Amino acid sequence: MTVSTLHDAPAATTGAVVPLLSVRNLRREFGGVVAVDDASFDVLPGTITSLIGPNGAGKSTAVGIIGGGIRPTKGTVQFAGEDLTGLPPYARAERGLIRTFQLSSQFSKLTVLENLLAAAPHQRGEQFRVLVFGKRLWREEQDRLLERAYELLVRFSMFEMRDEYAGNLSGGQKRLVEIMRALMANPKMVLLDEPMAGVNPTLARAIEGYLLDLAAEGVTLLLVEHELDVVERLSDNVVVMAQGRTIATGSMAELRENEEVVRAYLEG
Amino acid sequence: MSHAFQFYATTLLVYLGVDVLSVWSLNLQYGMTGIYNFAWILFQSIGAYTAAVLTLGPSTANTGFQHFILGTSIPFPLPLLIAGAVAGVFSIPIGFVALRRLRADYEATVMLVISVVATLIVSNVQGMFNGTAGLSLIPEPLYTFLHVSTLSYSWLYVLFTAVVCGIVYIFVHRVTSSPLGRAMRAVRDNEAAAESLGKHVTSVRMFAFIFGNVIAGMSGALLVQFIGAWSPGAWFFVETLIILTAIIVGGTGNNGGVILGALLVPIVFNEATRYIPTSFAPAAIVDSVQWCVIGGLALAFLWFRPQGILPERRRRFPVPPEYAAMAAAGRYPPHDERGATGTPPVAVLASETES
Repeated sequence: MTVSTLHDAPAATTGAVVPLLSVRNLRREFGGVVAVDDASFDVLPGTITSLIGPNGAGKSTAVGIIGGGIRPTKGTVQFAGEDLTGLPPYARAERGLIRTFQLSSQFSKLTVLENLLAAAPHQRGEQFRVLVFGKRLWREEQDRLLERAYELLVRFSMFEMRDEYAGNLSGGQKRLVEIMRALMANPKMVLLDEPMAGVNPTLARAIEGYLLDLAAEGVTLLLVEHELDVVERLSDNVVVMAQGRTIATGSMAELRENEEVVRAYLEG
Repeated sequence: MSHAFQFYATTLLVYLGVDVLSVWSLNLQYGMTGIYNFAWILFQSIGAYTAAVLTLGPSTANTGFQHFILGTSIPFPLPLLIAGAVAGVFSIPIGFVALRRLRADYEATVMLVISVVATLIVSNVQGMFNGTAGLSLIPEPLYTFLHVSTLSYSWLYVLFTAVVCGIVYIFVHRVTSSPLGRAMRAVRDNEAAAESLGKHVTSVRMFAFIFGNVIAGMSGALLVQFIGAWSPGAWFFVETLIILTAIIVGGTGNNGGVILGALLVPIVFNEATRYIPTSFAPAAIVDSVQWCVIGGLALAFLWFRPQGILPERRRRFPVPPEYAAMAAAGRYPPHDERGATGTPPVAVLASETES
């Protein structure tokens, strides 16, 4: 492993805390284009880490690789002490690593409530045994899931919208469905790809609040975000990518002092 | 009721039962899971041929005028069940090729090709199912055992068809009303999101494909044992489009709606064209008119009412009053004891305009 970046192993320097997510030397080419060149960073448990960088820096590809939708050409993804590199997305979700998408990805012809219910992994009622056992297999489980779904709906002020088809919601409401859906899985970590894109400022502030709450509850968040003031308010740690590489890591204040970052992103 | 009319009525009712099984089958795949199974008729056909060769006896019977494989006389109702099983088994390799990596248009193309290739193989391999001439004289189950008139037997077959439909519905309903059915619809609406939320997309799609094809196979067996004959002409690939149109017209994703589609499209419209006076249109044209009607119906519905006559049902769930009260008061659930940092104004969403 080449230690080419200043942030290569922050856990080793802090000593005590073991990172929840550890990404090492990721590389991904699409045809001749190198989307991610050499990306390495850690996410510590219970923190909000933001991934920033100019357009085309490879942020979404990196999130895609971590989520399992995109296979890396090279490099490893470690999560909770396990190497996830070859695993498909559903297997990562089962281990508590859930991603949301840049474009809204709701189940359009399911209601909001059904979107949430469908999001819980490992359901007995989704086993093929339902053919034999019918409702006995899943009635109690469904009651538990309903309770959790109603809690989330109340908390995200979406209770009244529960029976609406998700395809009929506004852009901001779809983002909320996406976040609630991720939470139905009781995740250890959520990857959020621009959760506030296309959302009006009031709701964007509300989403910020929700994300802070989640972190306070111990859910680790990795956020791809363009708005630097949002990043500054939310993040414990910021990772900067440019041209497929992770070029720096630290707090926003530290990064503002970093010439390379300023050149690559803050001014560019 | 005259005997002639009763024969007509019983035939229509058996066809209706078979079509109802057909639309449930394809609806599980296309309507619920988004699988473009343009080879659907192949699986009905696998069931029909299986039931035929399991009941026809050795191919040397009847002066050996038809050649086919196997040739046994298995007692009722085993041929029906085995027909479903065989259709299910054939689904596995076909599903493996068409469903695992391919999506939407590619998947549809592969299915269509498989359907055409299968017709060509069966037509040209004479010894398998008697080539283009097809199989005939397929015995009706229990006919010699029951000692009833032909007409009474037809009514008994209607009853039997209804019972099969009832039993199949129990299983269809178990799946579509369950969390598994919800996962199927989630996969249909957004595969990438479903997978990222822990759904094993390929397994879900394979399940819907196999389960639907088992029903298709049974529908074929039910039909062939009633009409007594089956040939490649009965399952040319366009036949799948009749069932697909029935689903689109009745209501994609709605098990009740597609029954209406099965009644309207293959029964009412197909029968209605039969009554076009031959002075007005020669018999050969009537057949073409049927296809024009089917194609026109599918197009009209896809343009003007894509959800069908009876749209997919909106699933609602019981609401515990305490949550309704909390939502009204804008409070978090009681066990949630975090700080109020993130408490959003309830009005945020109400004030948000469509974006």
